Formats: sequence, structure tokens, C-alpha cells
Amino acid sequence: MLRITQTKNTLLDGATIAEQLYATPKDCEQFFESIEKPTELVVAPRSTFIRAGVLTTVRGSAYMEYGNTKMMAIVAPPRELVRSSAGRVNMGVLNCYVNFAAFASGELASLPEREKHLGSMLTKALEPLVCRNEFLNFQLDIRVLILDDDGCLLSTAINCCGVALVECGISTYDLIAASTACIYRDQVFLNPSAKVEELLWQHRGGNALLGSSSSSKKDEKAATIQEYGLLINASMDSFEQLAQCQQCGYLKPETYVRLLDYTLQINKSLRELIKRVLTERVKEQHVLDMRERDEERLEDERLATIIERLQQQGLNEFIQSNIKEDPYTKK
Amino acid sequence: MAYIALSEAEKTFILHGVEEDFRCDGRSRRDYRPMELETGLVSNASGSARLRLANTDILVGVKTEIDVPNPLTPEFGKLEFFVDCSANATPEFEGRGGSDLAQELILSLQNAYESPFAFDYRTLCLIPGQQCWKLYIDILILECGGNLHDAVSLAAKAALFNTKLPRVTATLMDAGITDLIISDNPYDCTRIGIDAVPLLVTVCKIGDFCLVDPSAEEEVCSTVSMVVSVSMRNNEAYLAGTHLTGGGSMHRDTMLSSIQLGVSIGEQLNSLLVKMLKAEQERVGPKRPKTVGFLK
Repeated sequence: MLRITQTKNTLLDGATIAEQLYATPKDCEQFFESIEKPTELVVAPRSTFIRAGVLTTVRGSAYMEYGNTKMMAIVAPPRELVRSSAGRVNMGVLNCYVNFAAFASGELASLPEREKHLGSMLTKALEPLVCRNEFLNFQLDIRVLILDDDGCLLSTAINCCGVALVECGISTYDLIAASTACIYRDQVFLNPSAKVEELLWQHRGGNALLGSSSSSKKDEKAATIQEYGLLINASMDSFEQLAQCQQCGYLKPETYVRLLDYTLQINKSLRELIKRVLTERVKEQHVLDMRERDEERLEDERLATIIERLQQQGLNEFIQSNIKEDPYTKK
Repeated sequence: MAYIALSEAEKTFILHGVEEDFRCDGRSRRDYRPMELETGLVSNASGSARLRLANTDILVGVKTEIDVPNPLTPEFGKLEFFVDCSANATPEFEGRGGSDLAQELILSLQNAYESPFAFDYRTLCLIPGQQCWKLYIDILILECGGNLHDAVSLAAKAALFNTKLPRVTATLMDAGITDLIISDNPYDCTRIGIDAVPLLVTVCKIGDFCLVDPSAEEEVCSTVSMVVSVSMRNNEAYLAGTHLTGGGSMHRDTMLSSIQLGVSIGEQLNSLLVKMLKAEQERVGPKRPKTVGFLK
């Protein structure tokens, strides 16, 4: 007989089996109960705040609040490729990096993995947006800093990056808007909060779905599977193109289409918002430019009069006329 | 994906072939290339499979280990994927060249296997909350001839089918500590149910048409492709994770039709794979004739 050496199990130290140290499916049940469920389906984005050009140190930056989710995107102008092997690529290269602020999320263990995952998905979503043929052999770095996590991270990041790209002056094919929808036990959550996402991910779709482990129950349940899943959809509406559509979970194709149409509808209103923000930004910039030009004109006029006087009066006289009494020595 | 230099004329030729529903190798848009599948050929792994899809060559080994389940899912075992793009597939994979592609494959597999419906994690459970199996699915890409997603998922499913977990009995000792006893008879083992294990189907858009199983040359011509993961449960197809890849975008209607195509292809592929695996198991059984030459 082969004997397995006891694997290190801190959970078991001194505890008896009767004690349940870990979450049971029942907890999922309670967790689901505790979540606020929308009574009616409002196909609209959360209250949103977007501002382009928040940082002066970089060319393109944007800050976005989507409900309680807050993040900031930074786009630097394209720079030459560092990798030598990429010389054969006939398109510009896009690199997205997502970082969580240290206080953004309660759970720290899985952060590096999530950052990596979000980064690669963000790159995929933005690739169809950027005119990559315009900067061959260049790479574009996009950085996202997540300040607060309340669900819809990827879709908010896509929206925010879209604005930052325009702010930076990178040519894009269209404006991009993204949103998230999920379904759990026939309950559709649009723009799911962090809690709902946690239920889907941490609890593996609330493993209670499968019922208890007894086999008779399993057969019963197998007939009526409760679908669950999450859909993130980024669309470019001028030509009704979908830039990225990522789904996870377990869905019937029909449900997939249903969620897709919800997100498309949300994307439409988000797109209007983004458009308005960008036009506001352009107007604002225009006013600033005009003011600057006015100031420049005034300055030019002042200098012109000085030069004129200089020419008329000669240098010495001009200096004499411009010497002012020192108000301190006068006393 | 592996980079292949194609001239404009070659691309046009492929494009026209796709439009005529008669591709370079004579297939229609819904056809797969010939596949060769072999299971149980790595003696050190609990389960293994090798799949050759025309020029794409994948070797998968499944290793098992006893682990502690995640406290949030006490009844579930664990799966871990690892993809190695070996440098002899294409010179581009040398050094860290293949890491992006490997990462993408791992993510799409993880995404597809995430759901407890797609893969019954409870079969990997030994003692709820205390001990479970952890399967390491190591995927080695030996040659790269296009359509990696499909090939990898097919091979992974075959390897899981081939996986044999030794039978384990537990005895309860003092202070609630359990002792696992693993059967020492190599034939006394349990299998993993693979009925609902998802398959990935890449639907590739070339010109105005969608097709499946793109060769490496066709991948260069495509603007965007959609990876659809299809899981069959009670003869109904479910989507277990889809995403777009390839740096392009598509219209909603194109996407719906490609999902439809992917699902119907996935259904066929799934039933065929299960049939072939069963046939192979019956024909060869536990006493496999000694074959000479590993990769043949």
C-alpha cells in the first residue's frame, strides 16, 4: 500500500472535520440573496463622468468614473520599436498595461494575474480601433491605472482609453464604446457591480448551481441547467462594427444574442456621451487657444509700441524715461 | 501567430478561392483538414494525446497531483494549463517569442474550462474542502500549421479522456486528519467524464466569408477571427467562452452567423472526436501494441 504523506494543510491544523472553515454552496446562496437585484431592466449606462486631458505631463490622458469604478488612462506618443524581431511586422504595435492602485481592490493575491489578463484583453479590443498602419515600426504604449474597482473594469478601461487616444491625437477609425452585461439565474445584470462579478468568478458561477453532490439530485438538475455568464462588448457604431466581444460562463447562443443587444444599446448612449465630452473638450481647447492668441496679440502690440518709441526717442532717452523711482529707497 | 510572407497575388488567389467555396487544398469553407489522433503515448503522464491536424502538431500530457481545494469551492478540483511553443515549431518562437501566443492560448482554454458545467470539477474532488486532484495539462506545440486553438482544444480533450486517476480511499484518523491510500494496481483507476468538455472552433473571416480550420496561409489573409468554445450538454450546444482575435472588427450579423457556424461545426467535431476516442480505446484497449517511432 502506498501512503501519501500528509500535504501541508493549514486549514486542518487542530480543526475537526465537523467545523466548516470554508465557504459552502449555501454561502453562495446567501451571497446571491444579499446582492441588490435590479427590479426592472434599465438599459442605460451608469452615471458616468469622463474628462479628457487631466494630466499635463503626457500628451493624451483621460479620467473616467463609471458609477464607483474610477480609472485613468495615459497614452504616450508612439515611439520606435525596441524589439528587433518585430521588424517584419507590417503594422504598428499596441501595448496596453493595466495596473491596480494599491487601494483599488480588497483582494491582493490575484492582482498580477488580473492585470495581465485585462492588459491582453484591452490590447485586443483597441487593435481594431487604432489606425495601426499609420505608424509602422512604432509602438504605442497605453497605460491604465485603476483607482477603484466596482465591476465593469474592462469595458470602462476601453472607454477611457478611447478618449485618451483621441486626446493624444492618435488617428482612430471610429469612436469606441464598451459595456458589460451578465446573467445569473435568469436575472440579467447590466453593468454588474464588483459583487456580482465576484459571485460569477470567485464562486464559479455560484457552484451551488449544481446542487449538492448527491447524484440523484444531480440528474434532476442536469435537465434544467441554469445558464450564467458575462459578456463584454466593445463596439464602433459608425459602421456598426464590434471591436471585441468577450464572453465567459456558460450560455445558450440565444441568451448570448440577448445580452449582446443590451450591451449594444448601452454602447449607443455611451458613445453619445463620449462624443459630447470630446466636442466639449475641443471647444474648451479652442477657447483657451483664442485667449492665448488674444494675449499674444496684446503682448505683440505692447512690444510694437515700445519698439516704436525706441526708434523715435533713441536708446538713452528711452532708458531714462523708463527708470522708475524705487518705492523703497524713496522712504 | 506564426508569420508567413505572402505576396499580394497569393493573397488574392486565396481570397478568390474562399469566395468560390473552393479553397487552395480543395476543401469547402466548412471542411477540416485530415486529423490524426493518438492517445496514451507518454508513459510518464497520467494521460496524453497527440494530434496532428495537417501541419499542426500538438502533444498534450496530463499530470496529476494532490492539492488542497480553494476554500470558496470546496467540492472542486483544479486544472492548470500550460502551453509551450517550442522553438522548432517556427524559429520565431525562439527565446520568448512564443510567450504571447502561449498566453493567448492559455487564457482561452482557461476561459472555456472555467465553468463547472463545462468541466465537472467535482470528479476531481477527494475529500471536500481538504484534498482534491490537481491536473496539470501541459500542451506542447511541435509544429505550427494554423488553427492552433482548435487543435489544442481537441488534443486537450483527448488527453483528458485518456487520463487515468488512481483510485483513492481515505481513512479517518484521530483529530480529523484523513489519510489517503492510493491503489497500487495500475488498472484500478477512475476516468474523467469528458461529455461536456468544450472544444474551441476558430471561425475565420476572409473577404466577406467565414470559414473554419484556416491554414497558416489563410490566417495571414484573414482580417478577424472569432474563437467560439462549444460545450455539448444533453445534446444542446452551449457557449463556454468566445472572443474575437486577429486585430479586426466585424458586424453584428457576421458575428451571429459565425457563432452559428462555429456551434454547428463544434457539434459535429465533438461527436466525431468522442466516437473516434471510443473506437480507439476499444481497438487498442489497455494492451497497446508496441509501436516503433514516437512521432512516426
